[in-house]
Amino acid sequence: MVFRLFFTCTIFLTAMFFIATDVRSENEERLLLFVGAASKPPAEEAVKLFEKKTGVRVEVIFGGSGYVLSQMILAKKGDIYFPGSSDYMEKAKREGYVYPETERIVVYLVPAINVQKGNPKHIKGLEDLVRPGMKVAIANPEGVCVGAYAVEIIEKNFTKKQKKDFKKNIVNYTESCAKTLTVVSLKQVDAVIGWSVFQHWNPETVETIPLKSNEVVRVGYIPIAVSTFTQKKVLAEQFVDFIISEEVRSIYKKYQYFSSEQEAFAWIGQKPVGGEYAVPAEWTMK
Amino acid sequence: MRFKRLCIMFAFCSFFLYAGLIVSLAYFFRGSLFAETLFNERTFYSMRLSVSAATIATLISLCIAIPSAYALSRCHFPGKGIIDTMLELPMIVSPAALGAMLLIFFSNPAGSWLQQHGVQFVFAFPGIILAQFITTAGIATRLIKAAMDEIPGKYEDVASSLGASPLKSFLTVTLPLSKRGIIAGAILTWAKALGEFGATITIAGSMAMKTETIPIAIFMSLSNADIERTVILIFILIGIGIGVLYGTRLLLGRMPYDWK
Repeated sequence: MVFRLFFTCTIFLTAMFFIATDVRSENEERLLLFVGAASKPPAEEAVKLFEKKTGVRVEVIFGGSGYVLSQMILAKKGDIYFPGSSDYMEKAKREGYVYPETERIVVYLVPAINVQKGNPKHIKGLEDLVRPGMKVAIANPEGVCVGAYAVEIIEKNFTKKQKKDFKKNIVNYTESCAKTLTVVSLKQVDAVIGWSVFQHWNPETVETIPLKSNEVVRVGYIPIAVSTFTQKKVLAEQFVDFIISEEVRSIYKKYQYFSSEQEAFAWIGQKPVGGEYAVPAEWTMK
Repeated sequence: MRFKRLCIMFAFCSFFLYAGLIVSLAYFFRGSLFAETLFNERTFYSMRLSVSAATIATLISLCIAIPSAYALSRCHFPGKGIIDTMLELPMIVSPAALGAMLLIFFSNPAGSWLQQHGVQFVFAFPGIILAQFITTAGIATRLIKAAMDEIPGKYEDVASSLGASPLKSFLTVTLPLSKRGIIAGAILTWAKALGEFGATITIAGSMAMKTETIPIAIFMSLSNADIERTVILIFILIGIGIGVLYGTRLLLGRMPYDWK
C-alpha cells in the first residue's frame, strides 16, 4: 500500500517536472544575465533581438544593481553583469566578480527631477524641493544607484538648513529605480530625484525637470562586463559586443538614453563620468 | 511501529531541511560584525518596529477574523461562498501584488481622500500594519474557521434551549471550545506578519529608522551586496521569531501540535 502510494507520487512528480521544464532547450546554448533595473525596457528588447539573431537563449535576472550582484555572487553563476550604473561595477571589479578588461559603456544617464505630468506643484528646480509641504522621495541610497546620485546632489548643493528641510520633505526611500518612477506615476509624491530618461519610460504620467548644469555632480553610465563565473566567455563577449553595437544603441536611443558622452554633455554640460560615491552615514543610519 | 518510525523520520527530515539552511548561514558569518549589528541603533529600531507592527496587525486580524470565522462556520447567508473563496486571496496573490493593489488604491480618488482626511498609510508606519493585516487577515479567518468547524453546533443548540442568547452561547460555548485553535491561529498570523516583506516594502518604503522592518533591512543589505550583514540580520529575525513562538508555546505548556 505504502509502496504503491510512493510509486504513484514519484510518477506524478516526474510528470509534473517534465511538464514544467522545457526539456528541448537543455542542449541549447544559453547565457545568464544579471541586469540592473535602470535599463530594463531597452535591455529586454536587446535580449530578444540577440536571441532572434543568434538562436542563443538568454535568461535575464532583473533587479537593483547591488541585489543582482549579490545573487550572482551567492549563486556563483552568470555570464554577464549589466548594472544600472558604474558604482556597483566598480565594486564587482574590485572584488573580482567581472573581468575588468571586458567592461564596456553602453549608454549614459543624467540625474534629473521627475514630477507628475503637468507639474501640478510648479517645480522648477532643486530649491523647490525644500518648500514646506512638498512630498519628495529618493531611491534608497544604500543599494540603488540613482539614490546615491540624489544624495550626492543634495550634499553638494544644499546648505545645512536646506538639507534639513529637504529631509523633512522626504516621505521615504524607494527600493528600486523602477519604484522611484512608480511613486510619481501613482501620485504618491510630488517629485523624485531620478534619471532624465524616466519621462520616456512613462510619458503619460511623468515629466522630467532638468537640473541646472552646476547642480549635477556626475554623469552616470550603464556598464556591462563578462562575469568571472562564466563558462562561456567567448559567447558572453559576443553578447557584450552586440550590446554596444549601433543596432542596440538605437534601441536605447528610442528610450532617450544618451549614447555618447557628448550627447550627455550637450544636455547638462561637461561633467565627470561614472565613478563611485560613498554615501554619508547620516543618509543610511548605519 | 515501523509506520510511526517512518513518520518520525519525515519529521526529522523537515527539521534538518530548515536547520541545514540556518547552519549554512555560518559560511558568511562574522562574529565581530554580529555584536556591532545587533547593538546598532538602526537594527534595534527595526526589531522594535517589526515586533510592534506584527503584534498590532495580528490583534486587528484576530478582531476581524473571530466574528468572520464564526459567521462562515455557523451561518448561512447569501454570498457566503464568495466570501469564503476571497479569504484565499492573500495566498493566491503574491504579497508584492497585494502591496501594489494597496498603492494603486491610495492613488485613486477614494484612497487619496482617505489619506488626506484620515490616516497616512503610504510610506508610513500605519502602511506596515495595513500591509501585514491584508496579508494575514484571510489566513487568520481560515485557521479560526477550521477550529470552529470542529466544534459540533449541537452544543450551541443546547445552550440556546437553556435560554442563552446567540452572543452568550458564542461567548460561553464556542469561544472557550475553540480557544486553542484561536491561539494557534494567532501564533501563525503573528509569525507571518513578522516575516512579511513584499506588501510592506511596496506600500511603506524602505527608509531606515522609519519603515525599515527586519525583512526590509535584510533585502536592503543584500541590495547593497553586503552579504555578511544580511546573514546577521537573518539570524536576528530567526532569533526573534523562533524565540517568541517557542516561548509562547512553552508558556502555554503545550507542544506544537498537541492542541488537545
